[in-house]
Amino acid sequence: MTGVAPEELAGHAFLSGMPPALLAPLAPASTPVTMQKGERIFEEGAAVSGFWLIRHGAVALDIHVPGRRQIIVETLGDGDILGLSWLSPPLPWQFGAVALAETTAYELDVATVLAVCERDPLLGYQLVRRAMAAASRRLQATRVRLLDLYAAADQSGDAQ
Amino acid sequence: MAPAWYRVATRHRETHDTVTLGLGPVGQAIATPEPGQFTMLYAFGIGEVPVSVSGTTGDAVLVQTIRAVGAVTRALCAAEPGQVIGVRGPYGTGWDVTRAAGGDLLLVAGGIGLAPLRPALLAALSTRSAYSRISMLIGARSPEELVFAAEVDGWRRSGAEVDITVDRAADGWHGHVGVVTQLLDRADVSPGQTTALVCGPEVMMRLTARALLAREIPAGQIRISLERNMRCGIAECGHCQLGPRLLCRDGPVVSYPDAAPLMAVREL
Repeated sequence: MTGVAPEELAGHAFLSGMPPALLAPLAPASTPVTMQKGERIFEEGAAVSGFWLIRHGAVALDIHVPGRRQIIVETLGDGDILGLSWLSPPLPWQFGAVALAETTAYELDVATVLAVCERDPLLGYQLVRRAMAAASRRLQATRVRLLDLYAAADQSGDAQ
Repeated sequence: MAPAWYRVATRHRETHDTVTLGLGPVGQAIATPEPGQFTMLYAFGIGEVPVSVSGTTGDAVLVQTIRAVGAVTRALCAAEPGQVIGVRGPYGTGWDVTRAAGGDLLLVAGGIGLAPLRPALLAALSTRSAYSRISMLIGARSPEELVFAAEVDGWRRSGAEVDITVDRAADGWHGHVGVVTQLLDRADVSPGQTTALVCGPEVMMRLTARALLAREIPAGQIRISLERNMRCGIAECGHCQLGPRLLCRDGPVVSYPDAAPLMAVREL
């Protein structure tokens, strides 16, 4: 771990609005990383040890479907958090993740983050609140996709 | 009310259920449609349907994209080059793209909603220097159901930023997967100088309009294309009534402040 300055962490969209002083305990748990295009970040079913705050780039969440190749279920980009399963330890990764382009991010060590949050409930609350907001947005997007809005609407009607 | 006769000049299959026809006038041509307007297409002996115009060419050819969802549209989709169909119009309001000149133009399309936005995009690209940023965000059900897919690279080369997302990825798809509003979350938007044109299923337009407002684009700078059961095209029959509006005349393109209260009323 090389650490990321709290001021730099505060500049990430996920942590926007949190004062650097509050983020200071996360600094030693954070590492700036670069993933190359095509690099697998984690595998479905593997143990969770970190999560990432994407700075620039694109990451696909995918899953292996027997008889087909990896199927992308969602893509993430600048300002997104990659990895929410750490909120429910010891849940393994539910999906895999692969970089679709060169991607820079802050990688955070889950064990350290969880320990810090136990000691600092205000920091923990802020992190969980932001993670819940991200999860909520993804849930809403998934519900919209379930509506299958672009399917042919009414086989009896012709208007378009 | 009598249709002009047009002959199918070209037929391009966009997706498994969607076809784009190039229609050339047999005799007198209809007036040149503005981007966003629609025509009534008549399959002789079967019936007539409203279809948005997805382009025009210099030789008075109408480009119309049709999805086969009923008897008339199935017949139109099956029309082969040489076949004659009837055309009335153009009808309704257009996107009025030139109002965005001097600023940024943001087009958000969902599914076959890309067809009515295509002429707006082409019009803007034909006078590219009149706009700052031209962005097109496209949501499709799957990569296979993306219409005008072959044109996307050309739009980019002409100066548009085009971003595509799909609800369901197929094998080999390496683009975005998610809803079109997620593209908007990541788009570089200058709220005060952006005009947004939105076309797609009504729920998609509602959610997109909310996302645009969240990005602080003024409601008056958002235009959407509403669709109801247009029949006559000349505001006589009332089939397309939406509250106080007859959409064949007062629409399909309306400003979001005008549309929002009507979209919120159930059963309208």
